[in-house]
Amino acid sequence: MVDCGPECEETLRQIEGFLDHELDPDLRSKIERHLSGCGSCTDRASFQQHLKELVGSKCAERQLPDGLKERIGQLMAGGEPSGLDVHPSA
Amino acid sequence: MPQTTAQDDPALRARFERDVLPVLPSLYGAAMRLTRNPTDAEDLVQETYLRAFRGFAGFQEGTNLKAWLYRILTNSYINTYRKKQREPQTVDGPDDLDEWYLFDRLGAQSVEGSAEDEVLDRIPDEDVKRALESLPENFRLPVLLADVEGFSYKEIAEIMDSPIGTVMSRLHRGRKALERALWETAKERGLVDG
Repeated sequence: MVDCGPECEETLRQIEGFLDHELDPDLRSKIERHLSGCGSCTDRASFQQHLKELVGSKCAERQLPDGLKERIGQLMAGGEPSGLDVHPSA
Repeated sequence: MPQTTAQDDPALRARFERDVLPVLPSLYGAAMRLTRNPTDAEDLVQETYLRAFRGFAGFQEGTNLKAWLYRILTNSYINTYRKKQREPQTVDGPDDLDEWYLFDRLGAQSVEGSAEDEVLDRIPDEDVKRALESLPENFRLPVLLADVEGFSYKEIAEIMDSPIGTVMSRLHRGRKALERALWETAKERGLVDG
């Protein structure tokens, strides 16, 4: 793991939830306070944040295939094939 | 009483077109990462839209439309395309979870004084996509939903119909597996010494 104290250990253990904005407010503040005074943990947090953003931006598709939007439109205009099992539950 | 469908209710159809069509680019992107090829991705997206269109009367306005659509996409993928692609349904992923796999390896590189994350920026988009697509499906899906689509743990749990603890564990393992795949890619590309 990392060569530092229990506060660093806790921060790094929580870092994923922190970066995902999934921590409750108290824990979040605690992690923020630690990060503001710890360069080593901040480096790691920044790296993981950067990685998360990079995956998000590089894995998105920027272009739709030609005509896909029109084909979807036609599908809704009534040209739907039969035989599909529909489970629209949510 | 027969259910109203978006097909014979003009107001419902208009709302579908207004709210659901704009989600198409991100649904197509997710379909690409799941099926790994444009033909299947387009089929999957079309099937998703058809199911969503037919079921739209049952969708409660004001609730989470994007999560509802991704749930339909995920179910359609699992029911149709996964069978076709014969992918094993569950894979364990890496056993030894090295928590700082990529950070430690990139940090150990002396890449002309550049920061760890600058190496990542130089990996081409297509390679990052391939790295994500190389993950077993049960790890790829949560990473895709969290980091590409921006869903919360709770939403992912609903989309995947899994307990939130399972989602968190798979997301974590998926991210670590992705770090390994990215490291291999960076090595192959000659961006790092290894």
